[in-house]
Amino acid sequence: MVIRRFHMELFVAGLTALAGAVTTFGSLELGVGWTESGPEPGYFPFYIGLLLAVLGLYNGAHAAIAKRGDAELFVEKRHAIRLARFGGPMAAFVVVTILLGLYVGTALYLFYVAWRQGGYRPLLSALIGVGFSLALFAVFELTFKVPLLKGPLEPLFGIY
Amino acid sequence: MLRNTRITLAAAAALLSTVAAHAEWLPERPVEFIVASGAGGGTDNFARTIQSIVTKHNLMEQPIVVLNKGSGSGAEAFIYAKANAGDPHKLIFGTNNVYLLPHVAKLAYTTEDLAPVAALALDEFLIWVKADSEYKDAKSLIEAAKANPGQIPFGGSQSKDTDETLVALIEQETGADFKYVPFNGGGEVGVQLAGGHIAANVNNPNENLGQWQGAAIRPLCVFSPERMAKGEPIQGDQGWSDIPTCSEAGLPIESYQMPRTVWAPAGLPEEALAFYSDLLKKVSETPEWKDYLAKTSQTGRFLAGSEFEDFIAKSQDNALKVFKAEGWLVQ
Amino acid sequence: MGNFGLLLDGFQIALTPTHIAIMVIGVLLGLVVGVLPGLGAPNGVSLLIPLTFSMDPVSAIILLASMYWGALFGGSTTSILFNIPGEPSSVATTFDGYPMARGGQATRALTLAFMSAGTGALVGVIVITLLSSWAADFALRFGAPEYFAVYFLAFCAFIGMGSAWPGKTAVSLLLGLALSSVGMDTITGSLRLTFGLSELIGGISFLVVVIGLFGIGEILMTVQHGLKFRGVSSRVDLRDVFRTIAELPRYYLTLVRSCLVGAWMGITPGGPTAASFMSYGIARQWSRKGKVFGTGRPEGIVAPEAADHSAGTCAMLPMLALGVPSSATAAVMMGGLMIWGLTPGPMLFTTKPDFVWGLIASMYVANIVAVILVLATVPMFAALLRIPFAIIGPMIVAVCFVGAYTVSSATFDLWLVLAFGIVGYLFNKLDYPIAPLVLAMVLGHKAENAFHQSMILSDGSVLVFWSNPLVGTIMTLALALVILPQLVRLASRWKRDQAEPLGD
Repeated sequence: MVIRRFHMELFVAGLTALAGAVTTFGSLELGVGWTESGPEPGYFPFYIGLLLAVLGLYNGAHAAIAKRGDAELFVEKRHAIRLARFGGPMAAFVVVTILLGLYVGTALYLFYVAWRQGGYRPLLSALIGVGFSLALFAVFELTFKVPLLKGPLEPLFGIY
Repeated sequence: MLRNTRITLAAAAALLSTVAAHAEWLPERPVEFIVASGAGGGTDNFARTIQSIVTKHNLMEQPIVVLNKGSGSGAEAFIYAKANAGDPHKLIFGTNNVYLLPHVAKLAYTTEDLAPVAALALDEFLIWVKADSEYKDAKSLIEAAKANPGQIPFGGSQSKDTDETLVALIEQETGADFKYVPFNGGGEVGVQLAGGHIAANVNNPNENLGQWQGAAIRPLCVFSPERMAKGEPIQGDQGWSDIPTCSEAGLPIESYQMPRTVWAPAGLPEEALAFYSDLLKKVSETPEWKDYLAKTSQTGRFLAGSEFEDFIAKSQDNALKVFKAEGWLVQ
Repeated sequence: MGNFGLLLDGFQIALTPTHIAIMVIGVLLGLVVGVLPGLGAPNGVSLLIPLTFSMDPVSAIILLASMYWGALFGGSTTSILFNIPGEPSSVATTFDGYPMARGGQATRALTLAFMSAGTGALVGVIVITLLSSWAADFALRFGAPEYFAVYFLAFCAFIGMGSAWPGKTAVSLLLGLALSSVGMDTITGSLRLTFGLSELIGGISFLVVVIGLFGIGEILMTVQHGLKFRGVSSRVDLRDVFRTIAELPRYYLTLVRSCLVGAWMGITPGGPTAASFMSYGIARQWSRKGKVFGTGRPEGIVAPEAADHSAGTCAMLPMLALGVPSSATAAVMMGGLMIWGLTPGPMLFTTKPDFVWGLIASMYVANIVAVILVLATVPMFAALLRIPFAIIGPMIVAVCFVGAYTVSSATFDLWLVLAFGIVGYLFNKLDYPIAPLVLAMVLGHKAENAFHQSMILSDGSVLVFWSNPLVGTIMTLALALVILPQLVRLASRWKRDQAEPLGD
């Protein structure tokens, strides 16, 4: 199946409408009326959500009727491949970071991309990854005393 | 039982600290100071002052890392404590919000998730009005609010927090009816008062000091059992000790004070708890701490162990009465 | 002119070798924390405060203030080069700064930004010098309705004339408003839209969203366009810097207007972030080339930068004279002031003139020092763009996530960055404007608070917004900014329809 801009227009319009619906329902329990001391806590979110849902549907309908972007590809195939090659490691980086901490995640991520996509030798790539990670450590942890996310590996080196 | 052990241990630790401390627990890695307010707030200054005193007097080997987690009126810090249950390398700095917040908002922690370490100071509350206000004393302000129910705007910081609780308490005790307007912080409320946009506020001394010096506003009375400590005159020949207490001024509220408190995640070793309360005791005895108290016009009061727990229980009971009457309770 | 004499005394304090050395150190440290998205001025200043305990208050505040100026300049640098705003107030700089840098004119964009920022700051200090006694009284006149009016004005100035499809602009704006209402509401104390998630109690940080939308979203666009920055081949040399400085007088009108907008927003106190958005919006409306804003127009860089710094500088005045910090950094500095035993307030100007005027004089000197230092480092920063993408790309990604993590040390924010990165990419591809979303996130909740406070004060009457000349003027001005352009547009369409009835 080919993804056209038309499909994405519908998808994003639907997504914003959904966000609006969630906001509307989320504010219902807060009270959405207007009292003598002004709006209740849910007042603004309720109408913002409602308006968002309506506009989302409107944008979707508008795109559907006008068949906006029906002929236009959303992304060309070679672009999609590039995006996947970049986005894949990035998403993996987030998962690894949450499991192993920012320092290990960053080092592995930089190493992988420099090695597989930059075409650098593994040793040099590893140096780039570890070096950048150490630089982050020196700046954040040592100089400015801002602790970053650490995983199970750092304590082995006595770093908490 | 448990409480007794805790006191004994605290006492023992205090004794041992002067001798070679053989059984004493010591932090093994950097200690995190979690501040339940944003940078620059009263709680932030409280934590950072302690940090600088500990560092200056070398009271602890391990370094200190200060982290601000002030969102949700401080709830962020307390939920963080719950997530790190049993971790002896984290201290949480707050006020009475630690044990009052869960009563007025549905939050993912209870007071049991934090172990009380110590309270180091009591911050006072005063009633302030604009300098050229028609209200010469607390009585006339109350009478005005009785005569025009819901018309006199009374500012405070945050909603259902210490300020609004105090205003509600005044209303309940006197039968007056104010129009409470919440703002983001004490400084903001002070300026709103100086600008005449509200009629009164209940700021802490520190939050309104500059405005009082500039003769933009003046205090009516202080919610303290006795008058505040004598110091330099602030405005004309008036100083903190010249302000009448609110009971002198005819308000039936003897005391309303906000403790500056330190907590740890529940479940930490007893020895660690003793170490920290001993550490804070030493901090409270330094000249720098006295200096901090004087500059911020707070009352120094070191509370730990059962004394602190009694204080919490009493302060919580009083607040709960107000919350109940106002219908704020969530559980 | 009593102020002038005091200022001269101030210069005698500020121009000692020690103090100039302190300024250089402060600015350099500030540049470092400003350039790194994870660290900001508030962070840097709070770390420096313990070091200042042993210094005398004048030197201490000069150090902290210089760091603040340095951080403001540093924040613009990452906005322009990587589309990651280092400080909230430099978000508006990304709109045209980044496209210009990507188009191969990184040096020009940076130089324009720094020069206008420096000009803005100088105008700000001059305003402070001249108005110090009057401005504090003026700021006192701002109650809740006036605050709302100022925020409303910023909204209207920015939204007035969007070039994107109105349906999409509205969706973006509403999405921002919805996001800004998540978390604990100050006025009512109730938790909103958290759906039981503790992570959402503090709300969704505007910085995290911006890092996702701009940083990650843009890098995805860059990847799609061919895995490298287009600025790579351009040469970087000092001559570009001077050429751009010579170009600056051409934008004098934008400069003057933006500085005034900034000074107004700094004193009133709407704050630097609102000022930069408002100034950008006005520049776009006034420019005949308004339609091509967002593609690298010089005015689009000059306007937000000048206003940002002018407001940031003027905001020191309410902090000193009233004790109201208008930004997180100012709040931290105020904390420092109290630790040194000084109380911000109306009396500070009378009791500690050497402190106040030493600081004000140092602001003149430190901003000049800052401009020289940043201009000297432009080639170095611009050269960053020449690093191969396979290395710098992941580094930027990593720095984005590090930056987002440091906002509140929550792993939840890492997912948010990823999610908003994808949203940013989709919005970009489908021509949804992102700026209204950001503006709504920054000002939405503040405006709602001020509105709500006004309603409590007025017992629910909207007429409070026209209850005195000050608030009435601001509100009317704001409405005019929205309505007039629409009328003009309608009129011209009507004319066109008359001419060619079949027009689409």
